[in-house]
Amino acid sequence: MSYAIPERELMDSGHVGCPGCGAALAMRLALKAVGDDVVVLIVASCWSIIAGPFPYSSLRVPTLHTAFETGGSAASGVKAALEMRGRPHTTVMTWAGDGGTFDIGFQALSGAVERNEDFIYVCYDNEAYMNTGIQRSSATPLGAWTTTTPVGTPKDTPKKDMVAIMAAHGIPYTATASVAYPEDLVRKLQKAQGIRGSKFIHILAPCPSGWKSEPAETIKISRLAVQSKIFPLYEVEGGRKWRITVRPPEVPVIEYMRRQGRFSHLSNAQIEAIQHNVDEHWAELVAKAEQ
Amino acid sequence: MKSKHSMPKPAAPDAPITFASLAEMPPLPVSLGSTLNNKTGTWRYIRPFYEDRTPPCSYACPAGNDVVHYIGALRDGDPEAAWRILVAENPLPGVCGRVCPHPCERECNRREFGGAIAIHALERFLADEAAAHGWTIGAGPARRPERIAIVGSGPAGLSCAYHLARLGYEPTVYEAESQPGGLLRYGIPAYRLPKDVLDREIAAIERLGVRFALNRRLGDNLAWPELAAADAVFLATGQGASRPLQVPGEGAAGVIAGLDFLRRVATGKSLGTVAGSKAIVIGGGNTAIDAARTALRLGASVTVVYRRTEAEMPAIAGEVAEARAEGVAFRFLAAPAQVLAEGGQVRSVRFQEMRLGAPDASGRARPEPVPGHEFILPADWVIVAAGQELDPAPLQGAGIPVEHGRIRAGEAAETGVARVFAGGDAATGEGTVAQAIGSGKRAALAIDHYLRTGSTEGLVLPQGRAAHATPRNAAEAVVRPADLNADYITPEPAPELEAWAPPQMVGNFAEVNAGLAGQAAAREAARCISCGTCISCDTCLIFCPDVAIAHAEGGRYAIAYDYCKGCGICATECPRSALHMEEEGQ
Amino acid sequence: MKKVIMGNHAVSYGVRLARAEVISAYPITPQTQIVEMLSEFCSDGSLNARFIKVESEHSAMAAVVGASSVGARAFTATSSQGLLLMHEMLHWAAGARLPIVLANVNRAVGPGWNVWTDQSDSLSQRDTGWLQIYCESNQEALDTVIQAFKIAETVRLPVMMVLDAFILSHTEEPVDVPAQEQVDAFLPRYETEWRLDPDDPRAFNMLVAPEHYMEMRLQMQQAMDEAMGVVAAVDEEFGAHFGRRYGLVEPYAMEGAETVLLTAGATTSTARVVVDALRSEGHRVGLVKQRLFRPYPAAELRRLLGQAKKVGVIDRNISYGHEGIFASELKAALYDLPSRPQVFDFVVGLGGRDVTPATIRGIADYVLGHDAPGLEPVWWEVKP
Repeated sequence: MSYAIPERELMDSGHVGCPGCGAALAMRLALKAVGDDVVVLIVASCWSIIAGPFPYSSLRVPTLHTAFETGGSAASGVKAALEMRGRPHTTVMTWAGDGGTFDIGFQALSGAVERNEDFIYVCYDNEAYMNTGIQRSSATPLGAWTTTTPVGTPKDTPKKDMVAIMAAHGIPYTATASVAYPEDLVRKLQKAQGIRGSKFIHILAPCPSGWKSEPAETIKISRLAVQSKIFPLYEVEGGRKWRITVRPPEVPVIEYMRRQGRFSHLSNAQIEAIQHNVDEHWAELVAKAEQ
Repeated sequence: MKSKHSMPKPAAPDAPITFASLAEMPPLPVSLGSTLNNKTGTWRYIRPFYEDRTPPCSYACPAGNDVVHYIGALRDGDPEAAWRILVAENPLPGVCGRVCPHPCERECNRREFGGAIAIHALERFLADEAAAHGWTIGAGPARRPERIAIVGSGPAGLSCAYHLARLGYEPTVYEAESQPGGLLRYGIPAYRLPKDVLDREIAAIERLGVRFALNRRLGDNLAWPELAAADAVFLATGQGASRPLQVPGEGAAGVIAGLDFLRRVATGKSLGTVAGSKAIVIGGGNTAIDAARTALRLGASVTVVYRRTEAEMPAIAGEVAEARAEGVAFRFLAAPAQVLAEGGQVRSVRFQEMRLGAPDASGRARPEPVPGHEFILPADWVIVAAGQELDPAPLQGAGIPVEHGRIRAGEAAETGVARVFAGGDAATGEGTVAQAIGSGKRAALAIDHYLRTGSTEGLVLPQGRAAHATPRNAAEAVVRPADLNADYITPEPAPELEAWAPPQMVGNFAEVNAGLAGQAAAREAARCISCGTCISCDTCLIFCPDVAIAHAEGGRYAIAYDYCKGCGICATECPRSALHMEEEGQ
Repeated sequence: MKKVIMGNHAVSYGVRLARAEVISAYPITPQTQIVEMLSEFCSDGSLNARFIKVESEHSAMAAVVGASSVGARAFTATSSQGLLLMHEMLHWAAGARLPIVLANVNRAVGPGWNVWTDQSDSLSQRDTGWLQIYCESNQEALDTVIQAFKIAETVRLPVMMVLDAFILSHTEEPVDVPAQEQVDAFLPRYETEWRLDPDDPRAFNMLVAPEHYMEMRLQMQQAMDEAMGVVAAVDEEFGAHFGRRYGLVEPYAMEGAETVLLTAGATTSTARVVVDALRSEGHRVGLVKQRLFRPYPAAELRRLLGQAKKVGVIDRNISYGHEGIFASELKAALYDLPSRPQVFDFVVGLGGRDVTPATIRGIADYVLGHDAPGLEPVWWEVKP
């Protein structure tokens, strides 16, 4: 029952991710997928710290830490220079959190993919500004607690649909991925690596500290997100062709939410409303996939 | 501009880097080494550890089969290795795979995920493969000089002999009948257990150096002094005596004990006319069903009458169903009151209707007569299969303690009489082949211990329930469905096992059950979850966010405790409860 | 070869001759012609470079930071609001020790919107760790671009070269555009060990704790100190190759000068005319052109101005709540001289208000006619 993913590790132990950090595992799997002919740009986010302080690094690949908004722009420059300096096949991979992707980095991302820059943009999404202490982002789901959406006034707008936004840019490839489905994640990254142009991969990265969940359940929660259709796994080619890549057994959203303290204040009615939304979105996704 | 080659390097990948002066520092923030110097293991307060736990199948097997490992070897594509694991514990897999009521399957955790693994079919498959490929068990270690006498060549005696031979002894097995096997040959009909299968497995035992002294009956032409000359004796005489009905008229001709009936058929001795007769079988156990289906095959029309309901029948449910499908009739809640004869020959039986009352000592509802309700069934044959017991006569005079119809024997099969051990049905009365095999193995270990140390004390039997010749590293805790990670187990149905219902039953003793062949057996082995037993599926390794689990020697894993933060993901995700968490510092 | 070209185009030619490899810029008046011509050069193949047409100036600087981190020669150009939007990334480029060259067309900062020249934009970036070189002419602009790459790549600090909006950027002047072979002989291909390289994987610009951060900043200061000498040496070498040299500061009509005007940028040309007139009238007035602003050429300015009686500083900028920046920094540099001149600070020509010969003559007369300056800078020719 071994997994069909590359064995080679490109990440060392000793990094400072919290115990059970979904983002740490996401990086480990992503690097296995893309291999060592890569330049990784880490945008200001948890991974700026997780990677380790000067003079150390947890990653065995060239890494450029860069400012918060520059995930799309710095990568454009890196790619241009690699091409000018005789390494056109080196993969450029931006590694940004939801803050640096959905919010402050949105402009640079949109600009880069509109230019169809040849790079992979990976957003590892823990659904809030976790590195600064769990403040809301536009990736925070409806109803979630964060320090800036306290229990009295939880997040009252739905999560921004970044994959749809990327698809609307018409980029060659965009997809969602989950650390609980490592083979699907690796396949998608390797597929992205083989396509010229802009590729956007959205990985859900559970954060025990910010989601108020058990570190031991990070994979289970990742899996439940997919199974409950809150975070379905699909890909879009050329902004037009939608394909669902994993069809898991049906699970109600409450199973996913009850394991996280950030949802514990929600009433049954609110959860039902969320279930209804999820069901609607899923139906829309299925309809798109069937065209 | 400083060169990167002039920068300090760590002495080892996990050594820290320090700068004594500005000159040693790089001109910009750049890495000079890895975070391996940061031993994040100091963060944790709980830690993971690998420990195989006992799977319910192995736990339930009275013979002590190492089920999870032999199925694992079969799943890995090495049936010969699987067979060797199996026969390390049990010399009679071809037998067990056919006749055992398989309590392992009742406990199999797969039953919650589509259906229990057909373990008995896999056991049988391996035995049949061994025969087809000619796999043999190697000779034991250097010969030990002690002489051991085993009385009885049923499953307990055969198992004891086998394990003693593997330990280096050359025991002698005394058997009253002309061929070895005990109830395996004379009690279980050929359509359940073909005799060539039995012969093959007994021959393999003999090839290890076991001597068989046939036609030697204890108390008849085998006397205690001959046995007493041995360094150790194992009594495995079974329960060969049938309990009588204790009703008037049971002495008539045509009334025969179930075991006698079966033995006569097995040895080809004449019974008289069975074809076309009416046969009534009294009893609800396997002997009753065996006798009923055998009588059917001899041409009788058969009714089985049992004093409780079908739910309380001790016989294997599958056997009952096959009997019914073959044409055996059943009558429940009736007990014989009188055998009616004419001219000393059975003509009919008067039955008392029963109802279920309060439970008796066995835990089953005690049948009570319903006054005024009786009926008569005509019969040419009355086959009595209402229980077996020990025949104490041969044991008298040797001071062997017999209590409640059994030889009194302890955990280590010791009887209290010097050098004398007892096991199997004669001592335990447990009544199945698998239990007898387990009992014989325990006795072999006890005898070996006794011969080395002179004592019956201090013998440690691993796993308690069934002794293992090869101890497994597994904690006592038995894995149940709640211990597994259901996210990794897709429900898959158990295979249909074909039973062959011949169009013409009379005279047809060919094997009825088909078992699983080749590809089907491999597929079924793949369905095994391997509860409590690591199979190197890599799940723990893949999901560690700290890259703290890696492959180690021997196909297992090593945890880098210098870095493990104790998050617990590995133990939570392990599909089969082979990886657990404990408090740090324990 | 001599061409009559606007300042912006002079910059473009300089960038092409310097063989920049990655260019990323966002258009803003009055910089646009720089990038438009560079786009043409890339399109017609006369410049082998990737031009990344980013969607903002912040992204432009981020892109050249990315490119320079790989070891490619990178260039950008901007002005005013655009430079301000880049502010975070200017710090980033310097802290990352990247030899990026930026052409800034000096322009006032809004609101209100004002596209004309003053020095507010570049001077408000003086603490970012970039070298700053102020050009007087279109020729100097082209030459300084080429010099800038060599300086930057030697000291590993980014260089901002500055030219006045419209007065230089859009005004055509005769410019000697050197031959490519000449420039190649002067400026070799950029090579660096410290770069993103899959064959030698390292992380750059990660977290630096207090125990190390200060030393890294000290190293930047030391590089700035080294840069002083490098700017001079590169200028000297440039002079040897091309026959034109500019120095860190340029004295003009300084023999026996008792009163000196200090200028930067295009106003220097206007001031030369005024000083010539004053000299012809017998006034002992001289001029110092300050070309280098960062690193601050304190030694040069002390040498040239220490013996003067009065200095009149033309500041086309203001640091609100204090004074004009050129004057402020000069006073600090002169502070511990045993005898030092009076420094008169004139805030002049903000938002492109024209600085004419009459303006500078008026300022010189003011200095000549006053013994000492006031505490506040004089805001020249504002409405009462």
